[in-house]
Amino acid sequence: MRIALLTEGGYPYATGAPHAWCDRLVRGLTGHDFAVYALTTHPRQETGHPPALPAHARLAHTAPLWGAFPEAHRRAAEERRGRLCKRRERRLFAEHFGALAAALTWDRPPGTGPGDGPMIDKADRFAAGLYGLADLARSHGRLPRLLRSEDAVRILQAACRGPRALPAAHGAPLRDLLTVTEHLERALRPLSLDWYGPAPGGLDGADLCHAASGGAAALPGLLAKRFFGTPLLVTEYGVRLREHYLARATAPLTAPVRALLAAFQRALAAEIYAQAALITPGNTHARRWQLRCGADPARLRTVYDGMDATAFAAVGDTADRDSKTLVWVGALTPDKDIVGLLHAFADIRRAEPEAALRIIGTTGGPRSPGYRAQCQALAAQLFPDEAADDRTAGENPVSFEEIGEPDVPTLADAYAAGAVLVLSSVVEGFPRSLVEAMLSGRATVSTDAGAVCEVIGGTGLVVPPRNPRALAEACRALLADPGRRARLGAAARARALELFTVEQNIAAFRGIYLELISHAPGRPAAAEGAPRPFDSPAESHVPGRWAAATVGHTPSWAAGEERTDDEAMAGAAAAPAAGRGEGS
Amino acid sequence: MTVPTRKEAVARPGRRGPADPVRALMHRHRELCEHAVDPLEIAAALEASGVTDRSAARFRHRDVFSLAEELYARVPRVETGPCPAAAGPVPVPRSRGVRTALQLLPGAVCAAALAAFGAAAPTTPLVRPAVEAAGVLLVALALRLALRTGPLRVRDKGLPALLVCWTTGQAVYGHWLLTELLGGGPDLPLHPRAAAASVLGLVCAVVPATGCARWFAVRGRRGLAASRDLAELASRVRPLLLGATAAFLVAQVALLAAARAVLGGTGATDLAAAAALGTLLFLARLLAVHGFPRAAATGLATAAVLEALACALVLLARLPRLSPAGSPVETLIRHAGPAAVPALACTAAAAGLLVYGLRALTGAWAHSPAAAAEADRP
Repeated sequence: MRIALLTEGGYPYATGAPHAWCDRLVRGLTGHDFAVYALTTHPRQETGHPPALPAHARLAHTAPLWGAFPEAHRRAAEERRGRLCKRRERRLFAEHFGALAAALTWDRPPGTGPGDGPMIDKADRFAAGLYGLADLARSHGRLPRLLRSEDAVRILQAACRGPRALPAAHGAPLRDLLTVTEHLERALRPLSLDWYGPAPGGLDGADLCHAASGGAAALPGLLAKRFFGTPLLVTEYGVRLREHYLARATAPLTAPVRALLAAFQRALAAEIYAQAALITPGNTHARRWQLRCGADPARLRTVYDGMDATAFAAVGDTADRDSKTLVWVGALTPDKDIVGLLHAFADIRRAEPEAALRIIGTTGGPRSPGYRAQCQALAAQLFPDEAADDRTAGENPVSFEEIGEPDVPTLADAYAAGAVLVLSSVVEGFPRSLVEAMLSGRATVSTDAGAVCEVIGGTGLVVPPRNPRALAEACRALLADPGRRARLGAAARARALELFTVEQNIAAFRGIYLELISHAPGRPAAAEGAPRPFDSPAESHVPGRWAAATVGHTPSWAAGEERTDDEAMAGAAAAPAAGRGEGS
Repeated sequence: MTVPTRKEAVARPGRRGPADPVRALMHRHRELCEHAVDPLEIAAALEASGVTDRSAARFRHRDVFSLAEELYARVPRVETGPCPAAAGPVPVPRSRGVRTALQLLPGAVCAAALAAFGAAAPTTPLVRPAVEAAGVLLVALALRLALRTGPLRVRDKGLPALLVCWTTGQAVYGHWLLTELLGGGPDLPLHPRAAAASVLGLVCAVVPATGCARWFAVRGRRGLAASRDLAELASRVRPLLLGATAAFLVAQVALLAAARAVLGGTGATDLAAAAALGTLLFLARLLAVHGFPRAAATGLATAAVLEALACALVLLARLPRLSPAGSPVETLIRHAGPAAVPALACTAAAAGLLVYGLRALTGAWAHSPAAAAEADRP
């Protein structure tokens, strides 16, 4: 089927871990046609090389969320222009933008919780304003200019000075209102783009919208759902709203601006979660935020990020039975609490004088150059250099290395080098190094931060953060018991291969796509009166490749499942002969 | 072996948890909580500093969100004054000396060109036209350079060059052209005579224009920062615009008069025409700088059309039975001199732009700090 992949500030322009899943998804699902609709958030993103996409994917549109509105991408007006029309347009704008502004500035009356009457009313007003503006952009096509007009500031000002406005917004000076209007114009830009329509590359032609994050990226998906009934799937590995809060906290903005923009992002997130057919958080943490923002638990389905397991397949099941090497892998930042790890290692050395610790830094991620030097100095203080006998030069039991050095040419070698992987983070998101160690079949000791517990399940030891003594105790227990190490490592590898591989990620999305499309069967025919379910199956729009997809691109273990999917679709179709005839 | 040490650690006096564990957290994150706009912001920041649902349990809360809500409720909000960084990154200006030199450059080039024109031997053919053409070109380049930086730099779209050339040409050569047209010409070969004093005065007026525009922009931005609503801003900016225009007009008339005193001029109408044109260009540029390039172009176009109309009427009057068509222009010129046509046209257009500006430039968007910062970027 034809999938519209909606992204913001990332794929296909940016590369790096947070955006890699889009690339793996597009490359993994060769049976579908992908059209990428990218919103860029920084001028730098568009100046790079044109992104390379596989043959079944294309970059449909790119629009900037910075600078001036790109007039070339503006949607043409559907109605005739004229003086009367202009006046009507201004009136409609005042009405809809007023509803939006009222929803943003509306304070929660004391004593009401989320889900009470006024809050529902507020969400309704926000939705009414948003879709009203979208309809206005569709019919008149001058929305960007209206949003940058004095009218917009005046309406926002009236809403802020209203009787039930947020206390923070109530005293907002004019300059803040202007800043908010500017931000709103940028955030609402997707409403005025020429992405919706039957023209080639329009969202009308998509069977499913897949938004790679909440926020602005999902806005075109909301409109596609409203205009054409296209189902919307939202995937969030990091919750956009949370990123928004963290980014705004450091931005040089005044309190009223932050309050109003936060209200907008919250209302937008709530609307996206309410309209999405399915939401797939990347871990429990994202899921909790989505639930907090009003997502329906029945429509949440956690899909873990996938990692390429092939690189770690070659790593042997266990290290030497008498290996006493601990390995730490990651980017050296204060969040990782290497200092605590060194103190724990000092404790370990008292019981296991043979033990060694290899701290292997990876490139990428946030860098704090001073921290590495600080840790090296502490290690030199805690542990004197040691030599085997009187005639050889000694070396420190703690070594600091980098991936790519002769001793550790690849990441897999880093994990293979150790008996136990230690993770001492205080703050952690989705711990990639933990998953990689699991894929390498290594026993792990980690601190309870971020998604660690969720990832490790019961296949490793978990200790509280900032507790070197507990960390040392757990490491000692594993170093002393090779059998337990091997059992935990095998269990970890089995768990990671089942949950955190690229294949499971892609298989999950393949299943979700088919499920969603089976719930929206009569979409193309819906315009002409009675819907005719399964009249034209979605896969018929992608001639030839659907059948070919099952050959060659699917791992052998998933081939059986793939066939059942296909048969299920064929069995459910009202006109199976026609559907499969076109498909093959 | 480890068990006794742990017990000792727990039993150490002063390390037991306080009765209100949230208080310590409040103290640690006081600034965050004081400036937070809603509980979710506190929750996001707490998570970023390593607080998880399990550590929230230590504070007797189910999750980070309810802990954040308690913090939000317990810490009073602090009224932030003017945000320190909200004043915006102060654009690093080019050094004052360089800027002043750039603005004085067109005037100097123009004076040099006029001097060269005067010194060129009038007997040799083509020397004077060549000097004149070179002078016009150099002055245009110098003007471009002067306007590309500083407060007269436009954000995206400047004024249409054709309209600027036409209106300026009318002020400079209009006198000669209309005289020729009324006298039955123009006769070939053409010997256009420029109003040298007007040219020099106008070119020198770039300096006061820059100063007035900067004053208006700075005071306007300050007015925006101090205003609470749109009406207040309008009442603050209206006198600013009138003041800036009046100041520019006075400075320009002084410059024109000085130029006339040096070079010798033809009449008071010439001066009026040049002053009206200068004011029109100043207002148009001001509108374009503050984000209204279309209105500015419309104003210039009005003046250009009026001037072209005058010439067309004079030409039309030559046709048989259409001679009354040219009579209004002829009457005007007979009473006030040929420069009255551009003077009237520019005055009308400038008045229109001023009226429009009193509405448009008193709005909030005209003084948006973000847009100004964008324009200041090199």
